[in-house]
Formats: sequence, C-alpha cells, structure tokens
Amino acid sequence: MTDLRIDPRIDSGATLHAGGPNDLLRSARFRLEREAHWRQLDGLVTRAEKGGAAALTYDEVRNLAAGYRQAMNSLSVARDISLDRALVAYLESLCARAYLVVYAPQESLGGLMSRLLLRGIPQAVRRSALPLFIGFLALVLGAFAGYRLCSSDPSWFYTFVPPGMADLRTPDASADYLRSTIYGNERHEGDGLAAFSAFLFSHNTGIAVLIFALGVFMSVPSFILTFYNGLILGAFFAMFRQKGLGYDVFAWLSIHGVTELAAISIACAGGAGLGLAVLLPGARTRGDALRHQAHDAVKLAILAALMLVVAAFIEGFLRQLVQDPIWRLTIGWGMGVFWVGWLLLGGREGKASRGTAQ
Amino acid sequence: MREPKQSNQSVSDGKNGERIQQFIPPEGVPIALAIASLGSRLGAQILDIILTALVILVCALAIVFTGGLPTNATTILIILLGFLLRTPYYVLSELIWNGRTLGKRITGIRVINVDGRRLTPHQVTARNLMKEVEIFTPVGLLFTIGSQSALEAWLTVLWLLAVVIVPLANRRRQRIGDMIAGTLVVDNPRSVLLSDLALTAPAAQSSQPAFEFLPEHLDIYGKYELQTLEDVLRDTTKKPNTEEIVKIVRTITRRIRYEEPVKPGQELTFLNEFYRAQREHLESLKLFGKARENKYHEHTKTEARKLV
Repeated sequence: MTDLRIDPRIDSGATLHAGGPNDLLRSARFRLEREAHWRQLDGLVTRAEKGGAAALTYDEVRNLAAGYRQAMNSLSVARDISLDRALVAYLESLCARAYLVVYAPQESLGGLMSRLLLRGIPQAVRRSALPLFIGFLALVLGAFAGYRLCSSDPSWFYTFVPPGMADLRTPDASADYLRSTIYGNERHEGDGLAAFSAFLFSHNTGIAVLIFALGVFMSVPSFILTFYNGLILGAFFAMFRQKGLGYDVFAWLSIHGVTELAAISIACAGGAGLGLAVLLPGARTRGDALRHQAHDAVKLAILAALMLVVAAFIEGFLRQLVQDPIWRLTIGWGMGVFWVGWLLLGGREGKASRGTAQ
Repeated sequence: MREPKQSNQSVSDGKNGERIQQFIPPEGVPIALAIASLGSRLGAQILDIILTALVILVCALAIVFTGGLPTNATTILIILLGFLLRTPYYVLSELIWNGRTLGKRITGIRVINVDGRRLTPHQVTARNLMKEVEIFTPVGLLFTIGSQSALEAWLTVLWLLAVVIVPLANRRRQRIGDMIAGTLVVDNPRSVLLSDLALTAPAAQSSQPAFEFLPEHLDIYGKYELQTLEDVLRDTTKKPNTEEIVKIVRTITRRIRYEEPVKPGQELTFLNEFYRAQREHLESLKLFGKARENKYHEHTKTEARKLV
C-alpha cells in the first residue's frame, strides 16, 4: 500500500532541480516523480483486464484502487500544468482503463439471479397492476370477440387464424380428426405435431418480444397484438366447441396455455407500461418516465421469457405424455396457482425494513 | 474550473475524425473516451451472430446424432437453445465481461454507462432486449422479403431504415436500446506512454543550449502550435534535414523574428530546443492563469477589449 503513495509536495523535486545541471521543466519533473507509479498501475490494470480482478491478490487490489485515485489526481494536475500532449493522453487512457477495471460489476451471477427471482420480479409485478390489467384485458377481450364471432359464423376462423398455424384444424375438419389432434398419438402424425408445437413456441416468443418492445409506441401495438392473439385463441376454442370438444380442448390448451398465455399478457403488460410512461409521464419528462418505467418493464419481460421457456418444456414433454384431461387441467392450473403464489407472496418484507429501504 | 457539463453536450470531434465523449467518473475528473465507429459495432454484431449460430449448429448436431430423445423433445430443445443464444447470450456475456460480448472483445469495443457509474444489470438487459426489435426481427424479415406482399416489404424496409438512421442521426451513435438503457459503446482505451520530448531532446543533456530564445521570441505561439510541433518531432518517419523540416524551421524563425541563422544540419536541434523553451514559457504563463490557445491570442485580446 505504502509503496504507491506519492508525495504530494511538488517541492520535493527541488533537490533534483538544484542538483541537476539542467533545470527540468516543472511538468517534466512532475512526470519523472510519478512515472514509476503509473507504470505499476498500468501493470496491475493489464493483468486485471486479462484475468479479471480475481487474478490479483488482496494487496494488489488495494494498490489498484489507490493507484487509480492517484492517477486521477495526476491527470487533473497534468491538465493544469503540462502542455505535453503525450503525457495527458497517456494518463487519460490509463485512467479510463483503470476506471473500467475498478468500476466493473461486483455482483456474482448467482447473487444477481436469486435477487431477481426472490425480490425483483415479484415486486415489479405488484407495482404494475394497471399495465397487467391492460395486458390481460387485451387477451380476454380478444378471446371473447373471437369466440363470439366464430360461434355465429365459422368462416371468421379463416380470417383470424393464419393458415400455417391452423395446420389441418379448420372448421371443415371432421370431429374425429380434431379429436385426434387433441389426444395426438405420435404414431400417425407425430412429426407434424412436433413441428407444430415447435412452430408455436418460436411464434410465441417472437410475438411476446414484439408485443413488449412495440409498447413504446404508446401501448397501442402491444394491445392490438395481444388482442389478436386472443382472437385466434377464441376462434380455435369456438371451432372445437362446435364439434362438441369444448372440454377436451380446454384441457389441451390449459396444460401449457395457462403459462404461455399469461406470459404473453405479461409481455403485453411490460410494453403497456412503457407506453403508459410515454402517454402519461406525470411530473417527469417523457424520457425520464420511460427510463424509470423500463426498470419494471424489463423485469416483466424477463418473467415472460421465463414462463415461455417453462411453457415450452410442458408443451414439448408433458403434453404428449399426459393424455387424461383431468391431469392436463390439474397441471396447467397448478402451474397457474404456482405463478400467482410466487408473484403475490415473493419478496415481501416487513414494514419496518421496507421503510428503511425506500 | 471545468463544470460537469450536461452529458449530451459533452461530445466533441477528435482530431482523427473520431468522436470524443467527455465522461465523468465518480471521482469527478473528466475522461475522454472515443465513441466506437459504426463499422466496428456492425463487425462485432456480425461476429456475435456467426459465433452463436455456430454454437447452435454444433449443439443441434450433437443432440440429433446422440439421439435418445423423441423428435418432439429434440425440436423443442434446439429451439430453446436458439432462444437462449439470442438475448440471454448478449446479456450474460456483457454482465460477465463488463460490457463486452465475444464479438466486441475481438473488435475492441465495449459498453459503458453514460452517467459515469458502473454498468448495471438492468442497463445491460434493457439494451439487449431492444436488440430483438432493432436487429433480429427486421433482419429476419429481410430474409423473407421475397415472400412478402408489397406493403409488408415496404414496412420491412421502413423498419430497417428507422433502425439504421437512429445511430447515424445522433452524435453519440446510440441505438434506441442504448438511449433507453443510458449506455454508450466506446473503443477500448489503449495507453502508450511516449517519452517526454523536453527530456530526450539531444541538446537538453548538454549543459550549454545551442540556441538562446528571448521572451519576445516565445510570445508569438500558443498551445495549438506547440502541440503541432510536438507531433512533428514525435513523427519518427521524418528524417532530419528533409525539406519539410527545413521549411518548418524557416517559417518559425521568420514568424518569431529569430535573428541568428540556423546552420544546415542543426534544424532538428533547433526545433527541439525551441519546443522546450516554448513549452516552459507557455506552462509558466498557464500557471499564472494566462493560458494561450493559439497564435491568435493577441487578436482575441484586442477583440475582447473592443467589446468592452
């Protein structure tokens, strides 16, 4: 530690001055006195850049921090007394490099994740009641509209559902065929179904990301996309319902749909939150409001991504294995209860500690 | 004293055409960082896409050839992998390597926090989530442009244009994600300590300087001319007695009205000594609060007097 301490008195160069035959410039003397320390810091920074701060010993890390502040000090003095451009440029880049090493993120990934899961996400969800309401409202309204329209006139189905997604499941298909898609046995159309669920997953992640990110444009695109997703859902349900398969398709959708559709609504909520910040910034400027709201919105997006991954696993493994509608309902809505429980109860703190945290 | 300026006014143009961001760390001493060029950012992005695509390919082949899983699960696993190697890859790598993905490491750029604090996980996540809208989706749409209707094709083109224009249109070359997250992409600083010209000049070692400069000789030039001379002297490609050096010496002696003739072969010594004397003079002036930016200092002084 002490070996890095630099004598702050510039006068200490006076001996040099008097002793040397050629009187040095003040700035040259300043540099001569400190150069060794800069080079030492340079060495430490180079090692930390290569192997991270873990490559340094305890004492070296201390020297790094002290050396960084000294170099900052030197830089601000050098700017005032020296016209040597090379020196100022060197100090500037040395300080920048040291800054980037000293102010690197200090948290471990594990700590970050657990903090996010235990506190960050549930708290963010509880803070965004209004956007969540908008998100779920969009989906429910869409589903309701789709259901009503398709119940009265099945040809609406072709308007709502893109052909790639419907596969062969259209109102023209026979009830037996539709039943076989619900209780699909891999024997006769396994490949088709696998490709379909894979398509659904990539489709849904794409949709969720779009829904979230487009929310910046005053929530409208988010709302429309979610509403449209609801329309497809409602249309599908109406079609199966008319063939007398309402209960079965409800179970088939529930097992992964509870998680997946909730994820889409949550993505929409994140986007809607951003849009609301642009629309109603309150006392802040719009940019500030957007940046502030982004904290919660990003957490909602992470939650949506997490739920989509879980939904994909359920879809890929469980949906084919579990054929009984009762079990499908239990697993699907059990997941729903789990999500609600986690989001409502996670990260609650005592009143006293919350008061100090604010 | 330097005022901590508003961050959006703190961008200036550097001498080699790069843009310099005045960046204020918590210690309060502004540091200049060069804002990364769009070329190196594009390069980093392309490298990252190639690397992640390679990883997905290798893993997919491994999963398919080891077999053992039903087709359905295999497809889901590969798609999940593709999902994880998009935004999560960028977020995690920028968290672990402090603002650098593999591509950024190769091209020598990194992400920093605009307001001078350390990069937060929130910022990294926010800027990379927007990457999905700014890069992946429009580029993906571009690949399917053949099968799109005219309206969709126009929308895709518009989208791409909007995404490309944003970093071109602002001085800090931030894309939308950077603006939302409050981040900035800069070149990795590299530091080389060049020798001090006032020490290494050959005449500085000899006790008797060959040239004598009077105060009126040194009152002409300012900081800008001094540092231009510094660049000339540091340029190792210039040999003594070349035409350029002779010309510089002639210009300087004429401008400062230096009476003694400079003998041929002595030009470089003259320049070195003049540099040293001029720097000493300007530095002591600066200490007394009379900083001289360039040779027009007399002119600006009279201008100021006129204004008063």
